Amino acid sequence: MGVDSAAQLVPLRTKDEVRASIETHVLYAVEIPARFANSVKDVIHEARPEFKPGEISHLRRVVQFKFLPPQLQKRFNPPARLQRGIRNSEEHEDDEQPPPAALFNPLPPSDDESCSDSDEESCAKSEDTVRFFLLCPTRCFKPAELVALLRKNPPFSTMNIHPKLLYVTVPALAPTSAEQANQWSEQYWPIAYKNTNPFGPHPSLVARNTAEIESEAGDWLALARTAAAETAELGVGEEVGCVVVDRSSGTGEVVAIAGDCRWRSPIGEAESHTGPGNVMAHAVQRAIAIVAKKRLLMAGKNPAFLDRTLFCDIPLTAAETAAYEKANIEPTGYLCVNLDIYLTHEPCVMCSMAILHSRFRRCIFGKRMPLTGGMTSDTAGNDANPGKGLQHGIFWRPSELNWKFLAWESPASAELSASVTDTLHV
Amino acid sequence: MPDSNHRFKNDEQQPRQDQSADHDADDMKPEEREYHERFMREAINMAELALKSDETPVGCVFVKDGEIFGRGMNETNRTLNGTRHAEFVALAGILSKHPVSTLKETDLYVTVEPCVMCASMLRQYGIRAVYFGCWNERFGGTGGVLNIHSDPSVDPPYPVTGGIFREEAIMLLRKFYVQENDKAPEPKQKKTRELKTEILPMDIHAPKSTPTPPVPGLKKPPVPAASTA
Ligand SMILES: [Zn+2]
Ligand SMILES: [Zn+2]
Repeated sequence: MGVDSAAQLVPLRTKDEVRASIETHVLYAVEIPARFANSVKDVIHEARPEFKPGEISHLRRVVQFKFLPPQLQKRFNPPARLQRGIRNSEEHEDDEQPPPAALFNPLPPSDDESCSDSDEESCAKSEDTVRFFLLCPTRCFKPAELVALLRKNPPFSTMNIHPKLLYVTVPALAPTSAEQANQWSEQYWPIAYKNTNPFGPHPSLVARNTAEIESEAGDWLALARTAAAETAELGVGEEVGCVVVDRSSGTGEVVAIAGDCRWRSPIGEAESHTGPGNVMAHAVQRAIAIVAKKRLLMAGKNPAFLDRTLFCDIPLTAAETAAYEKANIEPTGYLCVNLDIYLTHEPCVMCSMAILHSRFRRCIFGKRMPLTGGMTSDTAGNDANPGKGLQHGIFWRPSELNWKFLAWESPASAELSASVTDTLHV
Repeated sequence: MPDSNHRFKNDEQQPRQDQSADHDADDMKPEEREYHERFMREAINMAELALKSDETPVGCVFVKDGEIFGRGMNETNRTLNGTRHAEFVALAGILSKHPVSTLKETDLYVTVEPCVMCASMLRQYGIRAVYFGCWNERFGGTGGVLNIHSDPSVDPPYPVTGGIFREEAIMLLRKFYVQENDKAPEPKQKKTRELKTEILPMDIHAPKSTPTPPVPGLKKPPVPAASTA
């Protein structure tokens, strides 16, 4: 592979991943002795059965002071502690209730003399038994309501102490990768990462697919730029192109190449560049139509059946013709299942959905089109339009659209023609 | 295996809470309704033709100055091309004879809500207005799933009215699935074989945004349905 071949591929974030990465809410927490965690949990869930603990299952419910992120350690310092001997005294039912102050003593900052290295375990037992416990989102209770409820129940009732509510901002949704989980644990609250991604493709699946295609992606993107230059040269299209690749046999096979033909008239002449042009002759639409024609041809059927010149789906350039004439597609294959599509630019909403309708396996594009593109979900934008994006994320919306596929951008791929401005629909 | 584009969950009740169109056929005045129904009838005829051709029964007509000047039906199965929706087929005919700018004075009547792809195409072309029969829960682009007709875009939005001959549009789709299942050697799902005739009345949508164009021959332009905005 040449120098060109390796492309820096950046997996696109799904719409739900973008949402998961930015949504936070505030939870109540309290300090309680560890052994009361379950009973407090039950009190909360009995009082608010509509609150589903699954909603916060990505967060560690019971956390020691030392595992809190630095900013919370600072805020909650000093942590409460149980006085030595409390457990024993409580086990003796006849014991007189100790005064409240004696139960939850703040841990003095440098009260560690008794914790010599040799004595670590007993030290941990006696002092770490007070934990930070996540109760529920603040929407579930008014503070006074929650305090009253806790006060009526152990350990607060039995120990005669007033619950002190703490407020913690946490991510509302589960993390989508181990990396994100670690970052959130440092920033918000210790995270319980389940090695799944409920909001997009599993990171390991994305990594595997990236590894499979990254060594040759640069070649296909370069070929897409060639296709773009060829139809633009003819004066029949914008400098936008795409390549359809079949990698199902382990090596990349070019199935179709198409450049944009929006400025090609019904009789095949170059038209003036006014208005949207022939929207149906965007490169993606042409490539999909050429794949269909190849399948008809391979199946021994007439590829011109029901064809119309406006679809511009006959190969027009040397590169397009060479790919079309190679008999390298399964006649029995269904639409574009198992095929990958490489584009010079992020496809418009129409073409993004055409890729989805055609059941492509993977989509890789060069430049983001924040004003017209249908694939990206965030508002990262590009140099000319930072902070912009339509946020459709069409490649991965499984709860709404009936197909999903992996998508990457390759922002560092070679310079593209400046003739394609951000307001153009690719 | 037939193409599964325009495949809907027909066993489910069509109206859903999140379905919305700018305007609802139920809010139309009788004379206005009659005008639109005349064209939707022609679109239904195209959908019936698609059904006879073993295609998903979706049909459409494009109308300019009160005249039909283009027809289309779904051709995805026979072309092996999942993008050959009725709207594409009709426009490929129209634009071979008329300039793109004509579409600014043109309305689309389609039996099923345009998908996300077609909704974007229509907006790029600058269509004047869209009228449709039933909602498309799988990939509707004008309210069924996404709102491509009105979401932020570099192109102006277009008004949409849903629910014209909705029951007939759904009935055609159901016939298609029964027909396809009967052709299959072993029907996969028994329940889809039953032709369900009971169609629930549409729920009331909250209309919004751009007014639909006036109907030719009517003295006053139709009053846009009561706006919640
Ligand atoms: Zn496009
Ligand atoms: Zn469509």
